[in-house]
Amino acid sequence: MRSMEPRLFQFAFSSMGCPCEVQLESAVAKAAETAATAAIAEVARLDEKYSHYRSDNFLADLCLDAGVRSVEVDDETANLLDFADALFRQSTAKFDITAGALTKLWDAQGGRVPSAEEIAAARAQVGWSRVEWRRPQLRLRADMRIDFGGIVKEYAADRAAAICRAAGIAHGVVDLGGDLAVVGAHADGRPWLAGIKSPRAPEKVYASIALARGGLATSGDYERALVVEGRRYSHIVDATTGWPVQGFASVSVIADSCLVAGAASTLAMLLGCEDGAAYLSELGLPHLTIDQSGAAAGTIAV
Amino acid sequence: MRPTASLSALLAAASALVPPTVATAADETNNRVSYRFSDYDEDALAAKSVIGDGERYRVLSQQFDVDTKFSGGSYALKLDATHEVMSGSSPWFVLPKNGVPVQVLSGATIRDHRSALNASLTQNPDASTNTTYSASYSSERDYRALAVGAERSQALDPAWTLGYGGSFSHDLIEPTDALANGRIPRATKNTASAFGSLALVLDRDSVVQAGVQLNFEHGYLTDPYKLFADSDGLVPERRPEQRAQAAALVRWRRAFTDIDAALHLDYRYAQDSWGLHSHTLEAAWYQSLAGGWRVIPALRYYSQAAARFYMPYSLAAAAPDHYSADYRLGTFGAFSTSINVRKRFGHWEFSLGAERYHSAQGLALDGRDAAVPGLVNFTRAFAGLDFGFD
Repeated sequence: MRSMEPRLFQFAFSSMGCPCEVQLESAVAKAAETAATAAIAEVARLDEKYSHYRSDNFLADLCLDAGVRSVEVDDETANLLDFADALFRQSTAKFDITAGALTKLWDAQGGRVPSAEEIAAARAQVGWSRVEWRRPQLRLRADMRIDFGGIVKEYAADRAAAICRAAGIAHGVVDLGGDLAVVGAHADGRPWLAGIKSPRAPEKVYASIALARGGLATSGDYERALVVEGRRYSHIVDATTGWPVQGFASVSVIADSCLVAGAASTLAMLLGCEDGAAYLSELGLPHLTIDQSGAAAGTIAV
Repeated sequence: MRPTASLSALLAAASALVPPTVATAADETNNRVSYRFSDYDEDALAAKSVIGDGERYRVLSQQFDVDTKFSGGSYALKLDATHEVMSGSSPWFVLPKNGVPVQVLSGATIRDHRSALNASLTQNPDASTNTTYSASYSSERDYRALAVGAERSQALDPAWTLGYGGSFSHDLIEPTDALANGRIPRATKNTASAFGSLALVLDRDSVVQAGVQLNFEHGYLTDPYKLFADSDGLVPERRPEQRAQAAALVRWRRAFTDIDAALHLDYRYAQDSWGLHSHTLEAAWYQSLAGGWRVIPALRYYSQAAARFYMPYSLAAAAPDHYSADYRLGTFGAFSTSINVRKRFGHWEFSLGAERYHSAQGLALDGRDAAVPGLVNFTRAFAGLDFGFD
């Protein structure tokens, strides 16, 4: 007799510039494979469509076109723009998807701190408030670059998890570089355990968080950080100042979706320690913050 | 300037991209302790419908509730204890007075109390497929009931959810002062129920559920305290020893995320082997407001057509097999309006509410049959306090 006990299947892959993994529990290997293949294809589709590292994809073309005339965007893009608009408003303009020029300026690849003139020039290219967005019509300023960082990877995790559920898989988790979306708890009901990286030693696990449903997202100043003369410049740039934020070393948030968790963690990073902590407690979502000295705080027990 | 945190704004903006999984609130905590109090107070009967004093029933009820999750969230346990104190008079029998039926209430003031314990255990409470087992015990001076049940909710695909379950209850009735009043000294009744339902997510804001429920009761279904006036005088009422009931229901839930509100519309039709059939239509509006306030106004309409053996009294020489003058078996319609206001302070949530219920024969859909002088109107006030923590 064939065993009908669910087994764990792991599918590691690389996308969105980070290591990713889909873990599914199923009694039927073929079902897990089919679901994982579809989930991975969805992540690849979103990476291809919205990556801001490419100059030949949908997003690059959209920025070029919308810079010269009003463009009608598809539903998915419109939903992403609406979400970005909500984050812009909720962060009092600190989160701005048009900050692509600033993010590029502060990219770790640059290897140096930009000059005040360069920052001022990049800031002139930034400003969601100057974008004409009347769904589904988008009109950007010329030279504006959209960067869906902080949204698309989280959205992709949720989409991949939804695709697994639609394929009949009830137990599993999607991990896109530390942003997690749960398909469903383990078959025996146990939650998945997510390792939160130690911000100053990312190869080490700082804490494990139990996640039975929804999503978990972490924003940290350690990813793609620019370090010059011992000073750390995070990749998270405050669009209102043009400078990287100096605040938490990392913020993890649990929500019903990875998308909302990611928005909350990114906004808390942008707000700095004091305002970020107040923002998180007001939001009421379970969270874990780690400050520059490595001290943890928040409502998630570790 | 620090921005104002709004989870609802985030969720609303995210809902187009990531359709929320239905039936799980975002703000659920893992543990919850709550206390509820309610005061149910029936209006006195109008002088024209009653012989003697019209003062009726009052029930003060307290409930203490503990919800907790354990084994890393893979089980949820819910325990609740209820204590009720009942006092006042209840409808006893109906007599003709100048050719018009009038109600007589039990003269002696009843003072009784009821205690109940209820436990339920859910396996994988946060999963789309889960199972709940429940058991309850209720005890008062003349009545004890023991019930067990199980139900399962099963996700068929992201849009469809199947639910089914069953329960069984064994009740023991030991009427007070049975010998002195010619009441049955001891009787039992068994009830078996089964239900099945199918829920469909229509779009990101709405879900519809349809279900059927079957109940079979067997045993002593008569109310041992109620009398019936026939040509010989007063005799104990008599109901059949079996009752089969079937009900169908439809529920519709729709969220209005832009204004942080939700509409619940429910309809239920029930019919039983006693000839009684009823319609229930209920609407509730859940409105969240700034500062942790929630306001929930609700409206319910109910209409039933009488059981075949309902009659206020009988003047015929030969008594029928079954007869009851219990107003709950007559033809009537009822409106209930209620409002519930809740306010959240961090881990705490206070709630306060009131309900007004009015019933009349003129409100029935199916016209009026035999008169029902004992129809009830009541006011219920309720308050509660919840404490949630992880």
